[in-house]
Amino acid sequence: MTMNESPLKSGSPAGGSRFRVDLPKLMLFGILVFTVGVFTALNPRFFSWRSFIFVLIQNSFVIVTGCAVTLLMIAGYIDLSVGSTLVLSGMIHAYLCRAGAAIEVSLIIAIVAGTLIGYINAVMIVKLKITPFIATLGTMYLGRGLSYLISGGLVIREGLPDNFAYLGNEYLGPIPITVAVMIGVLAIFFVLEKKSVLGKYSIAIGGNKTAAVLSGIDVDGIVQVLYVLCGTLSAVGGVLMASRLGVGEPNTGIGFEFDVIIAVILGGTSLAGGEGSLVGMIIGSLIIGCLANGLKILNVFTFYQSVMKGIVLVLAVVLYENVKARLKIKRAG
Amino acid sequence: MQEKLLEIRDISKYYPGVTALKGVSFDIRRGSVHCIVGENGAGKSTLIKILTGAERRSEGTIRFNGREFNPHGTRDAMRSGMSVLFQELNVVNQLTVQDNLSLGKEKRKLGFFKRDPELIGNIYEVLRSLDPSISLTQMVEDLSVAQKQVIEIAKAIASDSNVIIMDEPTAAISDEEVNRLFQIIRKLKTRDVTVVYISHRLSEIFEIGDYVTVLRDGRMIDTKAIADFAGYCKDDAPSASSSMDAACDELIRMMLGKVVAERYIPSDVDRGAKVLELRSVSNGKLKDVSFALYKGEILGFYGLVGSGKTEIAKAIYGIDGREGEVLVGGKLAAIANPADAIGEGIAMVPEERRSEGLFTNLTIRENIPMMNLRTISKNGVFSRKRERLLARRYIEKVRIVARDEDQRVSELSGGNQQKVVLSKCLNAESDIILMDEPTRGIDVGAKEEIHNLIRELAKNGKSVIVFTSELPEVLNLCDRIILLYDGKIMRTLENGRNIDHGSVMRVVTGAGV
Amino acid sequence: MHTEAGVVREAKTHKVNAQILILVGVLLVIMITSTILKPRFLSYTNFMNVLTQISMIVLVGSAGTLLMVSGNFDLSVGMVLSLTGVMHAFMSKNGVPTNASIVLAVLIGATFGLMNGLMVVKLKIPSVIASLGSMYIARGFAFIVAWVDGGANVVTGLPLNFEFFGRAMVGGAVPLYILIFIAIILVCYFVFSQTNLSKCAFAIGSNRRAAVLSGIRVEKTIVMLYLFVGSLAGLAGVAVASRVGSGAPNVGTGFEFDVIVAMVLGGTSIYGGEASFLGMIVGALIVGFVGNMLNLQDVQFFYQIVVKGLILIAAVLFTRKIQERLLGR
Repeated sequence: MTMNESPLKSGSPAGGSRFRVDLPKLMLFGILVFTVGVFTALNPRFFSWRSFIFVLIQNSFVIVTGCAVTLLMIAGYIDLSVGSTLVLSGMIHAYLCRAGAAIEVSLIIAIVAGTLIGYINAVMIVKLKITPFIATLGTMYLGRGLSYLISGGLVIREGLPDNFAYLGNEYLGPIPITVAVMIGVLAIFFVLEKKSVLGKYSIAIGGNKTAAVLSGIDVDGIVQVLYVLCGTLSAVGGVLMASRLGVGEPNTGIGFEFDVIIAVILGGTSLAGGEGSLVGMIIGSLIIGCLANGLKILNVFTFYQSVMKGIVLVLAVVLYENVKARLKIKRAG
Repeated sequence: MQEKLLEIRDISKYYPGVTALKGVSFDIRRGSVHCIVGENGAGKSTLIKILTGAERRSEGTIRFNGREFNPHGTRDAMRSGMSVLFQELNVVNQLTVQDNLSLGKEKRKLGFFKRDPELIGNIYEVLRSLDPSISLTQMVEDLSVAQKQVIEIAKAIASDSNVIIMDEPTAAISDEEVNRLFQIIRKLKTRDVTVVYISHRLSEIFEIGDYVTVLRDGRMIDTKAIADFAGYCKDDAPSASSSMDAACDELIRMMLGKVVAERYIPSDVDRGAKVLELRSVSNGKLKDVSFALYKGEILGFYGLVGSGKTEIAKAIYGIDGREGEVLVGGKLAAIANPADAIGEGIAMVPEERRSEGLFTNLTIRENIPMMNLRTISKNGVFSRKRERLLARRYIEKVRIVARDEDQRVSELSGGNQQKVVLSKCLNAESDIILMDEPTRGIDVGAKEEIHNLIRELAKNGKSVIVFTSELPEVLNLCDRIILLYDGKIMRTLENGRNIDHGSVMRVVTGAGV
Repeated sequence: MHTEAGVVREAKTHKVNAQILILVGVLLVIMITSTILKPRFLSYTNFMNVLTQISMIVLVGSAGTLLMVSGNFDLSVGMVLSLTGVMHAFMSKNGVPTNASIVLAVLIGATFGLMNGLMVVKLKIPSVIASLGSMYIARGFAFIVAWVDGGANVVTGLPLNFEFFGRAMVGGAVPLYILIFIAIILVCYFVFSQTNLSKCAFAIGSNRRAAVLSGIRVEKTIVMLYLFVGSLAGLAGVAVASRVGSGAPNVGTGFEFDVIVAMVLGGTSIYGGEASFLGMIVGALIVGFVGNMLNLQDVQFFYQIVVKGLILIAAVLFTRKIQERLLGR
């Protein structure tokens, strides 16, 4: 019989110390290292500062959105509309800029638009009790449609101010702005994950909703906040991406929501909820990013990436579940 | 006399077509353990739902602490000090003990948690007083069922609940854990917490209860102090040679309106025909298990939680891997999964009827044929008419109480659900039937009906293995009893002779043979 | 043929029947609106166009419904459809006799189905992920083959009889492939309502563990269901390519959602264990006719997507309200 440890020494205010050697995460990191190793061996150009920065920039949109989506999926919910919100906000930003609005204003309005879509999701799922899958499918359609509407299906290319492409392509010192934003968002969400209700309550809601409700947690409120955040962050990613591309492109971002979901799941979040982590999501996203970039450097035809993505996704899930299962047996025994 | 904490007056609850409760009135006294007993369908769960705010009463009043009690919902009731422990545990497995206990009560500012040493200190103290062996930093998913219950109790106390309702708390825990739970309940009494205890296990009522209220058909039959019952009803009342104690009788009579006395009736066993045999079966949980089952026999496996009962069933049925041999009808059988087992003539009634035995959103008629679709189909195409007739046949034979065969099984009571599972198993038309805790959580009347069904199976030449953690059940029913401890067969007993309950308990607790 | 016991009674009969009635009502409203807005709606040509689109959805949905009943998804059908179309064109172009090419293309669909099934059953990957993975793989190959062929679509140099399958008419009025589809759909309906395979699917979707313990061959069932879906997606791809006269790698984009929308609108639960075949058909009709109505109005493609989304949400909401009132929940 062991005595309780003195509670005042244990862990953070949000909860007990959960510090354990996290084998699955280590494994994931190992996969990342392995991927980098393989591609470097195939083409040393892969292992360069430029190459890594490129991966980071490309993945910054996924990671930014992924922060909110991770928490949402931990709570056991899903958002299929992040891709369309990404595109829509980019289009709104481009449209407003072309119409003469100041870039700052345009940015804000675009992000607010994304937040609104998140709010629509929240209301549908929490107040109207529509299943998340269907509801966000609906907003996905809506968002895509609206994106096309804004420009009549065309790319917004002419008439954009010169500084439109600034945010997406310039640097803040040695760091690209997009990466800096990503780091900023990550920092905020790391704090949220560990020290705020969003982190702990998401786990509770995903782990045992009844228990969460009975404990007095405002489940509806938390879920709504999560959906709104997904909308906001998708929009942030969207304006950055539009800026990086330099145009308002309605045909992009197809499958973006799945890129995010893949990164989240690769990172160890179960579809059912209750577990997951931001760190895992980052590693997951980087694995896919390195794969894509590696293939590009090897001059592999773009669509082989698609094939690769599929295979990686499947392999990663298999490995992860396997390791988890074996861990569970060891602990129970 | 202790003061009244809850005054329940003339509570009635009507549903369309059904009167669940009518004119129920009784008092619950502060700091007492008040038991509520009754058959399934007597109205116990409805009463709990009203007390916990999950349902609103149709008529009547409840006064809680002298004030009118009319909760808007479960959270409202909880805030008033009413907590409930259901059989489905309400803990978050993926959080630590501390996280669970502080869930919803943390000091917050703008959504961020602040250090709250007072809360943590309070939690620590409560937990330590209940069970010092649980550490605050453990993950709840690593705890046993009994420990998770302790967490829920701790949470209730830390929320300043004055009433904790426990719904069949001992259904899934071992006897030692039951004793520890009772110790905790006694500690609760010293803290002035009132416990409302619902259970089918009459011996427990007499051991831990101060008062008991009997419900039957939605009405309150009587409320008495336990001390007023003549004698006590003990778990190890010898059944073969003498009838049940007067106190148990009296209680059961109040519940059923009649006396139920079960006694062991020997089956007609054909010792020459070995239908099933295990030789040196071992796996992670089992050690060198060997035994034989004869035709027409009811064989019982008795042991505490963790003794390996379910593991033997799972090994036979092909769910778990194993070393060693399983012979069916004298021939070596290769059983890799349940479908193989059924093919060899072995069918199983699983331990958890809701999660393992039933297709809860489907109807009775859709559930029953699932283990043997051949009984309603030909060449892969099934006939709705045969399906309906089959269902009606079993409803009548097994006496399932339901509107009709098209009722969804989720709407049935526990005993009737188990009867559907049984029907499904009987429909497999197998010669060997394994039953894992066949009457757990079922009222006395249905229990007897199921036992009679088992006896009838044996009479018709089938062989049944009953895995159970209820000693009276194994003594009432089985021809031979195998005692298990720690995955090993310790002793095999013939029933019918005077069995010394004390030595049986010593064997299964590993205290010595 | 006289059906016994009258109405097919699944669990939740009332709910599903009410939903279908409402859907039919919605469908009629849409059709009437269409006619008022543009009488051309009622023309033969127009109807045939819609039929094509709807028939694809119903075809794949016929097998997809049972798959969803078992609690599994197949998000790869759209890309499999594209891939088989592209492959059919590619093979025909490069010397494979058209009929053989059709069979091979369908087999490619079946292979993807098998792959999905094995991933879900043997590798224990959740169906959303597994089929997502296949979707990526199929998409990749579809574009790769088109690229190898030299253009965006495989369209030049196809043999003369390539379009036969898609354009042949029976009796001058009904397209051949539609008749084939209808036959297959009827078979699927039979499977859905009268076979043990269907019962197994419902059991698995309702409670997988109980299904295993009841001796149901869960793995075999799921693989078979995926095989059907994959094959039918392959057939649909062949039909599209034949009718249009080219193999386009992006033709199936979004198709999987059309199928899912049709099924869910029609009352199939995404959690499994509950479904309506008829509902799926009506759902497909709605999805198809809405698209058609907007096409006739010369509404751009993008508006259509918006409307699709809104209808989906509105329908789900509306049917839920009616259900609640009916069942007094």
